[in-house]
Amino acid sequence: MAGIRIESLAKRYNAVSAVDGVTLDVRDGEFLVLLGPSGCGKTTTLRMIAGFVAPSEGCVRIGARDVTHEPPYRRNIGLVFQNYALFPHLTVEENVAFGLRRRRVGEAAIRTRVATALSRVKLDGFGGRYPRAMSGGQQQRVAIARAIVIEPDVLLLDEPLSNLDAQLRHDVRGELRRLQTELGITTIMVTHDQDEAMSVADRLAVMEKGQVRQVGTPSEIYRRPADRFVASFVGRANFYAGRAERGIFVTASGLRLPVADLAEGADTLMIRPEAVGLRPAGADGLAATVETATYLGAGWELELRLAGGERLSVVAPDAGEHWRQGQILTAHVAPTAGVGMRTGS
Amino acid sequence: MSAATTEQRRFATLLAPATVIVVAGLVLPLLLMARYSLNRFEPGQFMVEALTFGNYVKIISDPYYRRIAVTTVTMAFTATAICLVVGFPVASAIARAPARWKTALLLLVILPLFVGNAVRAAGWMVALGQKGLLNWILLRLGIVSEPAAFMYTWGAVCAGIVSVNLPYVVLTLQSVLEGTEKSAVDAAQSLGATPFTTWRLVTLPLAMPGVVAAGLLSFILAMNAYATPVLLGGPTFQMMAPSVADQVLQQSNWPLGAALAFTLTAITLILTATVSFTLARTHAGA
Ligand SMILES: Nc1ncnc2c1ncn2[C@@H]1O[C@H](COP(=O)(O)OP(=O)(O)O)[C@@H](O)[C@H]1O
Ligand SMILES: [Mg+2]
Repeated sequence: MAGIRIESLAKRYNAVSAVDGVTLDVRDGEFLVLLGPSGCGKTTTLRMIAGFVAPSEGCVRIGARDVTHEPPYRRNIGLVFQNYALFPHLTVEENVAFGLRRRRVGEAAIRTRVATALSRVKLDGFGGRYPRAMSGGQQQRVAIARAIVIEPDVLLLDEPLSNLDAQLRHDVRGELRRLQTELGITTIMVTHDQDEAMSVADRLAVMEKGQVRQVGTPSEIYRRPADRFVASFVGRANFYAGRAERGIFVTASGLRLPVADLAEGADTLMIRPEAVGLRPAGADGLAATVETATYLGAGWELELRLAGGERLSVVAPDAGEHWRQGQILTAHVAPTAGVGMRTGS
Repeated sequence: MSAATTEQRRFATLLAPATVIVVAGLVLPLLLMARYSLNRFEPGQFMVEALTFGNYVKIISDPYYRRIAVTTVTMAFTATAICLVVGFPVASAIARAPARWKTALLLLVILPLFVGNAVRAAGWMVALGQKGLLNWILLRLGIVSEPAAFMYTWGAVCAGIVSVNLPYVVLTLQSVLEGTEKSAVDAAQSLGATPFTTWRLVTLPLAMPGVVAAGLLSFILAMNAYATPVLLGGPTFQMMAPSVADQVLQQSNWPLGAALAFTLTAITLILTATVSFTLARTHAGA
């Protein structure tokens, strides 16, 4: 086991920058998720760590080893692909044993280690099957067993769940997280799905256009996104243009909102829809008119118009009220609910 | 039930024209030839009605014909092996080439097919002759002191057949390699397999159906090669297809020619079936 350190990693294809100076520190035993929209350079980053893509710049270190110039087959990395990439001409057992055979492990040890790995992914008794005789979820579990059985220094997964249907995706991601915790193996997973990312990650690295925008725990990323892109990629958000004035954010229309930890120079305020409290008209807060009110069972989704003309989306739990269009109420934004950020950065 | 019958009837209607052509153009001549091969040849009398296996017995017992059969099979195997060994890397390279080069590369492979076998063999004659290109180069480089004999040798015929078959082999292999998962190769390397081990344990086994198809195609083409052995092998070099033509056209011995043709077909079929069957069994798992 070992941590991973990548420094100023870049990959250019002709004039196009696929990855543009990524620096990341993944701690020993940590589960880090690279999250970002399609085409932002996640796969390229992962393939540079695995050794399939030669970086244009930068270096990759696994533990104390600089592996930047090592070929993939000398990096001791477990790799899991979106399309499983099992060997179709080999049985499940032979698939899982493949990496052990390359390491010249003895036959008896291979048998026990393969059996252990298969039982870890709940596939006892499937050893003699061929991959094509298994479901997508089972195939992906074989792929995971094949990657962990070699006791790799790091485990890399590229969109491992996106070929599975919704229920299975939920189950397999739970198993993946459990397995990772049990084995304590340093893991980087790539995904474009924020739910998936949030649910398994110790820390997230949000990428856009070949660069890492922010690294942090899921709640740090969600509650205190560094910029507008991160904020809207990991959830819904209201944005207001304006300026910071000693702890108060003044919107373009003149609304004054106290914001905790407001950096001077912030020109945008972000408020999560569920961070807004709803109170009766006249209470302390922002006067607002309900434009649309949608009941969702677990709660309400409201579109409000504030006194200055701004709109505010709110998600509120069902507390017995019945909100109607045209109703006047008060929206309460706690100082800790708003996050100031600088756009154009 | 009635739906199935309608379906079947439509199928039959669609197949009818092809069936007529196959029966008229292939089955009838074959039956006729089969009948001829059991006739007797009397010099001067052309063909005498009979029901005898004499022609076949002659082919099997006469060392002259046995040698022709052995030469043909050996040639077909060698040329096919060379085609596969040379064609595999070429096909891999094309399969891995960037999309924008692929069309051009495939066109390069197909280009020789625009030139007929006979024309190509004529080209080889120019290249391999006493005063040919190869000898000119070798003389110039001082590798030989007098022109070497390339024409009318086993090697010349083999080179000719390889050049005829290579495009087919490359195209067949390329289409199979194109379809195999690139990520299986990456997976093998991430598990610690060197590029060669990856090729041996993953790429080649996955390409096996293509290797078999390309090999059989090349083998059948080589077994039946006509223009190349005649033009590059000269009058003394004998392979089976030319000897069939020789019996029919030169000796007017239709019965023996027909029997030779069937022997050629039988050898090709038996060897093809044996190879396919053996490979199908060893790869039964995959
Ligand atoms: N081999 C390549 N040649 C040219 N461009 C590439 C290549 N691989 C990736 N790219 C480009 O680099 C960018 C990032 O790709 P990728 O890392 O696959 O993104 P992601 O995995 O986040 O969807 C994309 O714009 C893609 O088109
Ligand atoms: Mg990707």
